[in-house]
Amino acid sequence: MESSNKRNGAQLILSEDIYNGIAKILDELSANTRAETIVFCESNGYPVTYKGNVKNLDLPAISSLAANNFSATAQMASMIGEKGSFKFLFHEGKDKNIYLSNVGFSFVLMVIFDVSVALGIIRIYTKKSINDLVDLLKTAEEEDKQSKEFLDLEFKTLLGEELNRSLKI
Amino acid sequence: MFINYGLQEINLKIVFYGPGLGGKTTNLEHIYKQLDPTVRGDLITLKTKEERTLYFDFLQLELGRVKGLKPRFNLYTVPGQVYYDYSRKIILKGVDGVVFVADSQKSRMGDNLDSLLDLEKNLIELGHSLEDFPWIIQYNKRDLPNLESIEMLQSKLNFFGAPYTEAAAVNGIGVIETLKKSITEVISKVNV
Repeated sequence: MESSNKRNGAQLILSEDIYNGIAKILDELSANTRAETIVFCESNGYPVTYKGNVKNLDLPAISSLAANNFSATAQMASMIGEKGSFKFLFHEGKDKNIYLSNVGFSFVLMVIFDVSVALGIIRIYTKKSINDLVDLLKTAEEEDKQSKEFLDLEFKTLLGEELNRSLKI
Repeated sequence: MFINYGLQEINLKIVFYGPGLGGKTTNLEHIYKQLDPTVRGDLITLKTKEERTLYFDFLQLELGRVKGLKPRFNLYTVPGQVYYDYSRKIILKGVDGVVFVADSQKSRMGDNLDSLLDLEKNLIELGHSLEDFPWIIQYNKRDLPNLESIEMLQSKLNFFGAPYTEAAAVNGIGVIETLKKSITEVISKVNV
């Protein structure tokens, strides 16, 4: 058995159990904070899951922007001699705010909330959720299911066919 | 690569690299224009006020399920100008494949080489090398005068024999072919 968030070079595998565990933690966070939207994404910008309202929200795009936002500020942290990256980023708007946090090295948690919600509430509950998420990602074990089950020659051939079908112009 | 079994998704990242003004953003703009909206998301561009790429452009493609898995491809461009080195390093993090967009004009050979060496340097920092990494070259701007021949471009730039395409991205020519070839190259070299 391997770790659930095994990082082999650029490769990251998330099991179904871990996915469900993440969803549960986000449910709690959503209930505690009245956040409008919560997005959990991988540090390269792949959305993992979300809670709340995503109507009119391009999830892959906002996840990519959030993750790269974090990467850019990590570089800034390094330039001023800060060890590691900043723990969180806060973007304050007129109607909506965004609170971004690192979850371990491989994930980012984004909380979008109305300005009427106190920042302190978001900070306290987000901190608790991050601890829960880090524990979950650290301790749980991957299902005995490997990516090579899927990514065999048959998969590659079928993907080629799908590519020709989808990318027809 | 990121596999999310909860959503039955496989996510891969392809980065369009190359010298400034070589046509990387133009490639993504044409992919966005030419593909059906059911296959692609919104095109996100982070530009300077002079319309040059400041940080990156982003476009996601989503194909139909293959053996139960939904393949998603996150396409990024990097800023080409030399002084945006940090931005390029950040965008290359977690890369699964590269399209090197070379400018075919004779006057740009030096810029192509500089950018290719910059790519190799940054890939090495990530534990990869062009020698065994899934990448392809697109010889762009084939519609312009004063071009280098394909033979000359191949001998100067393609020292590892990567697959290549010819394109005039500004007219949409060769863009989808490049995209397909790059995805095929990435998938064929996925080693899990």
